[in-house]
Amino acid sequence: MPLFRKLLIANRGEIAVRVARTCRAMGIPTVAVYSEVDRDALHVREADEAVAIGAAEAARSYLDIERVVGAARQTGAEAVHPGYGFLSENGDFAEAVARAGLVFVGPPAPVHRRMGDKQAARRLMAGAGVPVVPGYDGDDQSEAALLAAGERIGWPVLVKPARGGGGKGMRVVRGAGDLASALAASRREARAAFGDDRVVLERCVERPRHVEVQVLGDAQGALVHLLERECSIQRRHQKIVEETPSPALDQRLRARVCAAGVAAARAAGYVNAGTVEFLLAPSGEFYFLEMNTRLQVEHPVTEAVTGLDLVRLQVEVAAGAPLPFTQDVVAARGHALECRIYAEDPARDDRPSPGRVLHLSVPAGPGVRFDSGVEAGSEVTVHYDPLLAKLITWGASRAESIERMAAALARTVVLGITTNHGRLRAIVDHPAFRGGDLHTGFVDEHLAGAPPDPCPPAEAVAAAVAALHRARPAPEGRPPGAADPWSSVGAWRLGAPS
Amino acid sequence: MRLACGEDVREVAVSEGGEGLSVTVDGAVFALDVRETAPGTFVRRRGGGAETFHCVRAGDDVHLFWRGRAYELRVQHPRERAAHRAASSSGLEAPMPGRVIAVNVSPGQRVLRGEELLVVEAMKMENAIRAPREGVVKSVGAKVGDMVNPGAVLVELE
Repeated sequence: MPLFRKLLIANRGEIAVRVARTCRAMGIPTVAVYSEVDRDALHVREADEAVAIGAAEAARSYLDIERVVGAARQTGAEAVHPGYGFLSENGDFAEAVARAGLVFVGPPAPVHRRMGDKQAARRLMAGAGVPVVPGYDGDDQSEAALLAAGERIGWPVLVKPARGGGGKGMRVVRGAGDLASALAASRREARAAFGDDRVVLERCVERPRHVEVQVLGDAQGALVHLLERECSIQRRHQKIVEETPSPALDQRLRARVCAAGVAAARAAGYVNAGTVEFLLAPSGEFYFLEMNTRLQVEHPVTEAVTGLDLVRLQVEVAAGAPLPFTQDVVAARGHALECRIYAEDPARDDRPSPGRVLHLSVPAGPGVRFDSGVEAGSEVTVHYDPLLAKLITWGASRAESIERMAAALARTVVLGITTNHGRLRAIVDHPAFRGGDLHTGFVDEHLAGAPPDPCPPAEAVAAAVAALHRARPAPEGRPPGAADPWSSVGAWRLGAPS
Repeated sequence: MRLACGEDVREVAVSEGGEGLSVTVDGAVFALDVRETAPGTFVRRRGGGAETFHCVRAGDDVHLFWRGRAYELRVQHPRERAAHRAASSSGLEAPMPGRVIAVNVSPGQRVLRGEELLVVEAMKMENAIRAPREGVVKSVGAKVGDMVNPGAVLVELE
């Protein structure tokens, strides 16, 4: 007997595909939801059935609680997995799912609300003895109060929306004169993304690392950590390369950071999978940043070194099963690395680059995993997060997983839209990265210089010309949704329709 | 025939010759024995070895993956070159499809280099459109809430 008769996946893209695959292995039929532009998306076909839930704009589909819960009831789903992003950390959603008599695969509503409010979370953690960054989490949100707080904390300070996450709305303020404009932008983004424009201020820790602890709790009160991940390689405060174990932690520091993660989760009353994020200063001091009350994008690196399937554990715990292991058996074997492939252009300020994926070649080999939300023919729209796929490699050592990543990236082909592929290769090849010398400003420090020549050498141009000359029209029976880029090739027809 | 990569334009020609193709790029001749093994995937045989590369075309856009790197090329038409030059000097275009969420300037206003003129939101990120130089705003082509497409002229500077 499967744990649930049916499970609805309230998400899209690679995470919806990934959840569907574990459910299939567990014998649980899945229901996908999709907006009108996602009708032909990969995640829709990976599920056993699918329900249209509205317009392209996320607020009218993937963020519409009533429609998502309605789809679950209509299809007879017994459980709802929220993935990450969208409604995954929304207390109202968790509550609506429970009120409909369904099981929410994640912590209950009060935990989301407690941790979703950065102000309240900071206070709770400080009270539980978990170190927090010196800062301001007061109720007085006037510019005068924030200015005074900034002066007291000492510039530069970080302005962060009190709600939400993923780096959205975060701004670094270098001095008093910059506060007003940073506040305005931060509040505007926070209001749009989270419907709440309160902010907190935090001291900027210089050259910090981002280290986080994966936690997992069951309904019986057992709570364990699944070691740490380091996610210091970021752009615009968003992670692009993650790994475990962190090269910054020795056994003693690792034990302290992971214990703090468990203490934070316990203070939050945590159940199911979650992540406690810390800033690690060069001195070895570390501070609570926030808790993500959901599965994390980068969870596959933890899976690679622990041998666990986190989605399976989430579903089991949600069904009321006790954790099948205790803390003392959790151990890391080897090292794992993840690179996030985004539809964005590093040469143009990381601008999103929507379009159609015309060709996709996926790397393979020992220790290589590719979690993709797209395939050849997929349309990447402006409506959603530009994450296309995640490439994960495992090795017996950090050096080996990096070597495997470098080789796999060189064989990862996404054509049709601009991606950050070149930047990922530059990061993985960089001596400072290989040396484990990471901090959250790594990309700006090491890769802000002149980008490599975006134009191919003459020999490559010749190869392209030869390819276009030799290309055959696509055979009959293309996969559904696949583009037909071949309608105009074979001859150099000038003025062919684009 | 011309293939452009940004401002870099290559004059190319192709003909059948002996074992494979003879391709000329700006006067340099390359002999290439190339065949398509799957849509978008090509094998080039050379000496005793072979290498794989990838290439797809959509309209005039050519996407190439060669020795670990992706490149974007464009088949260029003579008329288009002149039009491109004219457009790039006249105004500030939307860089991507998105929604205008802030307009900070109005016609007649003097702006400094780097000043934020508009904000376009796409894929949940805010993207500031900044003045490339000092000048006076001649016209504003979008208002808050508008959906804009790449190439739409948002602001013209005098």
